[in-house]
Amino acid sequence: MFKVSPLRKRQFLGGIIGLVLGVSLFYILTLDATEGYVSISPMNTGHNELSCFACHADAKGNLMQQVQSNISHAFGARDESVDFGTQDVTVNNCLQCHDRPNDRHPTYRFSEPRFKDAIKHIDATTCITCHSEHHEERVSVENINYCMNCHQDLKVENDPLDISHVQLIAKKAWNTCIQCHDFHGNHTYQVPEHLSDTIPMQKIQAYFEGGEDPYGMVKKYIALSQEEWLKTIENSK
Amino acid sequence: MKTITKIIVPVLSICILYSCGGVPEEKTAAAGGKKVFAVEEVLEMVAKENDVTRTLYTKAIVGGGKKQGMKFDEDWRKDDVEAGPLPALFLRGVATSIRKSPVPLGLYLGSDFPVNAANKFEGKQADLFKKIKEDQKPQFFYDDDQKLHTAMFVDLASAGACVTCHNEHPQTSKSDWKLGDVMGATTWQYPKDSLTYKETVAVLNSYAKGTVDTYMAYLDEIEAFKESEKPEIGDKWPAEGKYLPTAEVFLDSVRKLSSYETMKHLVAAK
Repeated sequence: MFKVSPLRKRQFLGGIIGLVLGVSLFYILTLDATEGYVSISPMNTGHNELSCFACHADAKGNLMQQVQSNISHAFGARDESVDFGTQDVTVNNCLQCHDRPNDRHPTYRFSEPRFKDAIKHIDATTCITCHSEHHEERVSVENINYCMNCHQDLKVENDPLDISHVQLIAKKAWNTCIQCHDFHGNHTYQVPEHLSDTIPMQKIQAYFEGGEDPYGMVKKYIALSQEEWLKTIENSK
Repeated sequence: MKTITKIIVPVLSICILYSCGGVPEEKTAAAGGKKVFAVEEVLEMVAKENDVTRTLYTKAIVGGGKKQGMKFDEDWRKDDVEAGPLPALFLRGVATSIRKSPVPLGLYLGSDFPVNAANKFEGKQADLFKKIKEDQKPQFFYDDDQKLHTAMFVDLASAGACVTCHNEHPQTSKSDWKLGDVMGATTWQYPKDSLTYKETVAVLNSYAKGTVDTYMAYLDEIEAFKESEKPEIGDKWPAEGKYLPTAEVFLDSVRKLSSYETMKHLVAAK
């Protein structure tokens, strides 16, 4: 039935080899055992034990269905497009393990219109603005002066600090905030009263890069492990 | 060969692709129903529920509880603080619970003289709040940046506890509040311009669930008290002594106070 022209033999052979290689690679790289090779780079601190599926859940339908649905959407025969391969990772993925009632700066609060200008400088409505994944670190934000976007008018009554918060703000010493206060307020930590006793920036930087926790090990809330998270899903069924 | 490559292969590919069928479209029963409420109506309904809940909590729980020696604090969730949530924190708890639900409803509280400077209105909200202070009427707008229908409703000093707490707070930016003053406004957001009956009920239910969740969190906090005397939790209120109602009793009272207005809307739509 198929007659390959002698002039196109090499082209045909190349096509067959390409197809076999492509299918084999697709099969091998989608195995659980090869997850480490597919990951674009090492996971952030605390996420080392997570499997890919914890964040990258399979998209609905099989690949052919997803192709068909997206083609239909492109031609206007379907209202919504569908995820291809895996579902998009959203804030909700993070919150399934990290959500807690005592978060000082929960992402949802920044959806209010009055934070419109603030989120132009730092989009606090989403976790990945400060915690970009696959960078083998804890905090990925480039500049730690982000408090200035909302707390310019801060005044602390009976200010316990030897150099008042008002003075620090006047000096635009915004890096000093993080030397006493962790952004999410998740540590039980005695805040110092002298600026000289605050956590040195080198320690903060090391913590951001995945090092030791300078605020202490007493945390108010511990994020769920993958096993605990899976149990919550199982229980909600 | 030419016929195969030019006609049969493409036709066969399309047939195979089409025969797979697409990914089923997500059309919930609610989304498929008839839209019967404008978003403004629904937000007014849920804001009314919020008014009743907040007033009841502020007067009967915080006001009544303080008279019985119970404590309420903005840092009520801290490990070393044995207290209940102040009304503003109670509302924030409800808002947090709503955000965890599948209902895309946003709820926030702000003012022009907030205790916490970060809660001060800015931009469009500040402009509309000036109007609210003049006539106490709701303000509606479409937030183009977030593509959300937004409503603001007046938040009045409806109980003595609101006035005394705000006037006496160490970080207050205004200390001459009086009963009946416009202290702030609640801001509500929803993505659709109209809602089905089921979507409307889901909005109201998510608010009610938020109330129960937050009130339950307060009762859990009491359970963990180490030094303070624990009030008895049952069907009695602080007005009768060192008692607190259960979450069910509290919600029942909210429903009794607000159900007529809400039911009137819902029944009229049916």
